[in-house]
Parts: sequence; structure tokens; C-alpha cells
Amino acid sequence: MSEMKKIKNLKEFSTSADRFEGANLLCPGCAHSIIVREVLNATNDDLILSASTGCLEVCTAVYPYTSWDASWIHIGFENGSTAVAGAEAMYKALKTKKRLKQPDRNPKFVSFAGDGASYDIGFQWISGCMERGHNMMHVVLDNEVYANTGGQRSSSTPIGSSATTSPAGRVSYGEKKNKKDMVAIMASHGIPYSAQVAPNKWKDMVKKIQHGMEVDGPVFINAVSPCTTEWKFDPKDTMLLTDLSTDSLVFPLYEIIDGHELNITYRPKEKDIVPVEEYLAAQGRFKHLFKDQYKYLIKEWQERVDANWAYLNRREEARV
Amino acid sequence: MAFDKMELRDIEVWDGNFAAAQALRQCQIDVVAAYPITPSTPIVEGYAKFLSDNYVEGEFVMVESEHAAMSGCIGASAAGGRVATATSSQGFALMVETLYQASGMRLPIILNVVNRALAAPLNVNGDHSDMYLGRDSGWIQLDAYSPQGAYDLNFIAFKVAEDHDVRLPAMVHQDGFMTSHTAQGVHTLSDDVAYNFVGDFKPMNDMLDFEHPVTHGVQTEEDWHFEHKARQHNDMMTKVLPKIQAAFDDFEKLTGRKYNIVERYDMDDADVAVVCMGTSVETAREVATEMRAKGIKAGVVGIRVVRPFPFFEIAEALKGVKAIAALDRSAPGGAPGMLFNELAGCLFNSEERPMLSGYVYGLGGRDLTKKHLVDLYTELQANVDAGKVTTQLQQFIGVRGPKLAFL
Amino acid sequence: MANTGWDEFEIGAMLRTFEGEAGDIAGTLQEDRKYTENSSFSASVADWRIEKPIFAKDYCIDCQFCWIYCPDMSIISRDKKMIGIDMDHCKGCGICVEVCPTNPKSLLMFPEQADEEAELAQWPAKETKEK
Repeated sequence: MSEMKKIKNLKEFSTSADRFEGANLLCPGCAHSIIVREVLNATNDDLILSASTGCLEVCTAVYPYTSWDASWIHIGFENGSTAVAGAEAMYKALKTKKRLKQPDRNPKFVSFAGDGASYDIGFQWISGCMERGHNMMHVVLDNEVYANTGGQRSSSTPIGSSATTSPAGRVSYGEKKNKKDMVAIMASHGIPYSAQVAPNKWKDMVKKIQHGMEVDGPVFINAVSPCTTEWKFDPKDTMLLTDLSTDSLVFPLYEIIDGHELNITYRPKEKDIVPVEEYLAAQGRFKHLFKDQYKYLIKEWQERVDANWAYLNRREEARV
Repeated sequence: MAFDKMELRDIEVWDGNFAAAQALRQCQIDVVAAYPITPSTPIVEGYAKFLSDNYVEGEFVMVESEHAAMSGCIGASAAGGRVATATSSQGFALMVETLYQASGMRLPIILNVVNRALAAPLNVNGDHSDMYLGRDSGWIQLDAYSPQGAYDLNFIAFKVAEDHDVRLPAMVHQDGFMTSHTAQGVHTLSDDVAYNFVGDFKPMNDMLDFEHPVTHGVQTEEDWHFEHKARQHNDMMTKVLPKIQAAFDDFEKLTGRKYNIVERYDMDDADVAVVCMGTSVETAREVATEMRAKGIKAGVVGIRVVRPFPFFEIAEALKGVKAIAALDRSAPGGAPGMLFNELAGCLFNSEERPMLSGYVYGLGGRDLTKKHLVDLYTELQANVDAGKVTTQLQQFIGVRGPKLAFL
Repeated sequence: MANTGWDEFEIGAMLRTFEGEAGDIAGTLQEDRKYTENSSFSASVADWRIEKPIFAKDYCIDCQFCWIYCPDMSIISRDKKMIGIDMDHCKGCGICVEVCPTNPKSLLMFPEQADEEAELAQWPAKETKEK
């Protein structure tokens, strides 16, 4: 085992040498990149990476340029997780057979994918990887929409969001289905670690990523990734939106150990909790909810978030 | 922990699946990512059992679909090691997306394809629908006619595919059940001789070389895609057949067993010839001999290498032949048939321009009988005698109901 | 590479990030790495910008918020100090300005054509909060 990178505070963290490069083609203000940096900078170990088809993939490996300073692979939309699982299997095989070129290294295997590539088209592949116990981490860049193809709904798109395939209109408030609880589903595989993270809470993120990289077995991470293009906010406001998402508890931050032990890792003070309405109001995709006939949905949103928060607290208290 | 070697008799009684599994063991595959499907399952089961008995070292990853099987193989191969798997039919169809990825990334994965029909209607028996589905995927395709071929061609496949001048994935085809589940005597190689023939895996652009990080699977649009595809096609067209021939030559020196890119049988003076693949080749050879006794100068051309298609070698083999039958074992879906079309392409510019007719046969495992072939050769001779094709260009043989012919 | 023919590049559309051996990349700063021309580090997106950030060092407290939240690896921090902006890779999103906690801010957005020295000379004064 290699030593875990020591990151006491942000100043210390800022001495990291990034292994993800600029002049990629992600939109100005894209949170994907912030998440990727925090994940990669959490370790000094070698990395074997993949990205499933999506914004991150099409913006970071457009020939003849790559933005990756570690080995990286893309196959398709659904199978980035399995690509890394295959590489991890080869690592184990070559380790057994004493054929690794640098046998002293301790690589970490990480696959990145959007919510479309994780919640929908890649669901089966990720489930397989989690179930089989590969020593790998799957990180979802959850922007709740198929952003790369122009804003279609995914099973991560929340109720009331206007997406191009569930657009708000004269007689519709947009997406009708509730977001899939992917962290719970993945935790149900009995994996050693699953967690929800947000890039604004970098310390929480780094702690979780480091823990995930140290445990033996598959790890699932769901990262909220505010999308300036599809959530419709000014690129400068990415961190504001991330703050609103965590402080409204729309994206609560927690971890689930060994598939059952739930810990809430960020608990805003009562006075600091932001009404869901503020979170919704900051985004163009929910603009129509502020019309009189849809205001009841905002109330329902708040109730849903409150209920989920109460549920997470009960899970935590129960220590089951 | 070192693994144990296995003592084999000079001749073992193996079916095609077990022969392929033994070849994978002897090649010491590093990673097999696989998903079961009839009739190919025993190949990967065999590898798993060898692993659990310590006759091979590596990782067997039993994934949740054939798509994931090939995805895992791609990840493993890009990481830098020897990779193989097996599939058939619907599983092959599910893999198709990733087949193109494997060849485009130039990853030398070996896929044993135990040929089986494609649904609907569902059918588990052998025809060449899956083989045909893969023909534009950029993979080398080798075709075995027997368990012996299934065993031997795996060694050839690894040797050629992993060559740094080639670096293309390869399929080894065998007919579902007729080869895969029919036990025959198979001449074996000892573990050391077999492994030495294939040699150690030599990594190239391997992700696990941490001193040389690589990016695999990039995006190329209109400004780059064409050049990469052109390069891939160039290497397939110019580099592969010479390497296969060299591997066949080395293999013959080692074992005395001679394989050819195009397998000719009684072709030197043939007037009429059948061109076919798989187990049908052996049946056709038997019938050709019988036809010669009846005074018809019959020959057989077996396709050993389906891709890259041996354009000149086939034209050469068919030189002087007056009437040729292309036997396609796949529903052609509104066209004359792959083999018919490819042969027509080979022969169209030849001076002799022989007569070519096509036959669709054996779908879903329907037997091709000697009687079918006798009738077929008789029709070809009738074409020779008449100086023109006397039948329609596409005929279905062995199907119940009124005679079915087109074109 | 613009006019490279089909026979002139590595097979498989594979790209390499570094010339020669990479060494300890996580322990090597960008200026000490040997990037190939294929690393996007060698490219520029400066022409994406409509507005650009200008850094007023005097007000900076080296909190590193701009470093951690920059999506484009464009805040150059060395030895725990913010020393400047990588203008080849900055896309002008403005996140660094939003997360800057100083008063006045140490980073502000200006039109791309703005003159840095002139803007620094007329940097806004500390804001007094209304009670």
C-alpha cells in the first residue's frame, strides 16, 4: 500500500500537480472539470482512468489532443466502468504473473461517467462491476440531464425540470418522474463504500475519495455537477449553484459503508438551510414552476427534500 | 504461484469447444472476460476450470453480458496483455458495437465464434449469420472446419494478431454443434511447444506502463476519422495475409499440418467447383471425389481466411474453372449472398469470366447432405455443357416447399 | 499535424501525453513536464474569452479558493501562493472572481481588451457593508 496523500487544508492541497489539463473543450464554468480535479488530486498514486461517452469524454480526447496525464480509455456510452474493470483484471493477472513493468506502483482505477451513462445506458455495466468486486471507483458526474446530446431527460432528471424530451409547455410542467436514487441502488450491491459528494465541499470530497481509494473493492461516488448550459445559469455561478444544491439539502452529502451504515457528512446549521425554492429559482430549467399553476410543485419539492433528509437522519441514527 | 503443465496424449478426443479451450490454456491467456451462450459456452468454462485447477494463471471475469465481455476484453487488452473470449449468435450481435471499437483501437483480442443462427425465429444451431455480421468489423476472421482446425487456428490467430505490424483482433470461427460438440481425434502440441510457437505477449501502448501514459479511444471527426480508418484498412489489406502465410508455414514446419489461406481440393484440372466454409468443406470434398468417379471434374475451394478476403488467392484457385457455386450459409436479406458477391468481385475482371451461381443452404443447422451436393455439381456440369447458367442465380437448397430461386 | 497523411501517425488513434518517460507526474509541476504536442496543455482556448480575470496580488490572502474551483487549471499556485493566471487555458468563466473572499476582491472580470496595468491602477476600494 502506498501512503495516503496528506491534505490538511486548502493551501496544502494547492501544491498538487494537476493530472488533468486545460484547453479541454468543456464549457466555461463546467463543474465536471472541478470534480475531476478534486478526485485526481486526492491521490499521488498512478491512475488508470476511463470516461464513458458524454461531455467529459468528448471534450477531453478530441484528436489530436488529450487532456489526460494518466492512461485513459473510452470505449462507448455504456461501458466505461467495464473498460476499467478489464484493465484492473489485467493488472491483477500481470501482478500474479510478475509481468508488470513497474511492479512497485499502486495504481487506482477510476471510471467517470455522466448520469445518462450511469443511471440509464450504463446501469447494467456498473452494476456488474460493483457486484463482481473489482478494485475500482465509479464516479458519476451528475448533471441530471443528457447535456452532451443537448438536454434530454435522463432517469436522474428531477420532477419539474424542463428537458428537451420533457419540455415545459402550455400544458406541461416538464419532467414528471422523480430522480432515481442511484446511491442507494449501488449501496444495495453490498459494496464497501458509496457516497454522494459535491465539489464545493472539497474537503468532504477528498476525504471520501481517499477513503474510497483505500478500501478493497468497488466504490460508487455520485457527484453533483451543476451544468451552466442545461440548468441555465451564468457560468460564473457554478459554485453558487453547488452551494445551493448542498445547502438546500436537495443534494445531501452522505456515505454508506458496506452497503448499510449511513453517515451524513455535511449537516448545515438549521439557520443556514436554504429553502428549495431558492435553489429552483436560480436555474432556468425550473423557471416555469414559478407560474401560479405550478407553484404547488415547489411546495411538493420542499416536502420531498424534507422527507428525504428525515429519512437519511433516521438511517444514520438507526446505525443499521 | 506457478501453474502446472498438463500432459496431453499425441491424439486426444476433443470436440471443437474443448480444443479451443485447450488452445487458450496453452497460450496462457492473461484475462478472459466472458458471458455464456450456446454453443460456445464450454470454451470459457474450460478456461475457468483450467484456472481453478491451476493449469493456467490469469483472471477470469464472468461479466453480465456479451457487450460487457468484449468491453472488459478491450479494457484488459488496452491495459497490456493476452486476452481472449468466446461467443455465438445473439451474444455476437450484442458485441457488435464493441467489435468495431476493438479493431479501431488496434487491440489484438482473440474471439472464438462458434457459429450459430440469428433470431428470429430463435435457433441454437449452426449457420454463418454471426460470422457474416462481423465481416465489416475490421477483425481478422479465420475459419476452422473441424476440432483440429479450432485448436490449431487459435495459435495462428494469436501469433498474427499480436504481431506489432498487425495489431488487429481476430476471430476463430467453428460451426456450432457440428464442430463445437462433435468429438474427434485432435493432434496435440505439448504445452511448451504450443506456447513457444505463440511466444510471449509483447505489450504495445499499454495503459499499465505508468512511465508512458496513453489515451485510447479518442474522438476523431471529419478532419481525422478517414485517415485512421484508411490506415486500419491498409494494414488489414497489406500486412495480414503475408503474416498468416508465414504463421501457416511455421506451423507446418512444427507440426506437419498444412493450412492455406485458400484450401484447394482437386482444383488443378477442375471444370466445376464449390466454394464454401466450415464443416461443409469436408462434405463437399467427399462428394467431389465421388463426382470425379462419375466423370465430372469437380473440385472444392474452402475459404480459410474470411477477412481479409483473399481476393487474388481465390481468383488464382479458380483459374480455369468453368462453373462455380458460391455456398452461403446465411440468409442474405435481399442480396445474392456474401460469398457470391465477393467471388463475383474476384472474377468479374478475369479474362475467363467463369459462370457463377449462388446457393443458400443450411440455415439454422439444417444439414447439407451429400445428395444436395451431388445435385449441385450436376447443375454446374449442366451449366458447363450449355455454356451458360441454366438455373436462376440464387437457389435455396434443403428447404421444404416449392422450389425457391431468385435472380 | 494538420496535414498528416493516413500513414504518418500511430495506429489506433492512440495519443501520448509526454515525451519519453513520465516519471512521477503527480510530483512534477507543469513547467517541469515534457508534454507532447498532443497534450491539450500545448493548446490554447484564449480565443474563447469575452471577459478575462485580472489578478490584484496586493489584496490576495492565498486562500486558494480560486485554485480549487477553477475548472480550467488556470490558477497558478506555487508553494501555497497564488501567483497568476494561465491565460492560454482560462476560458473566462468568472468563477474565480465569485469565490474570491477578499474585500476588495483580488480578482475581477474585465473585457478581454482591457489593459491590465490601467485596471490595476484603478482597482475598486474596499466595500463597506451597509448595516
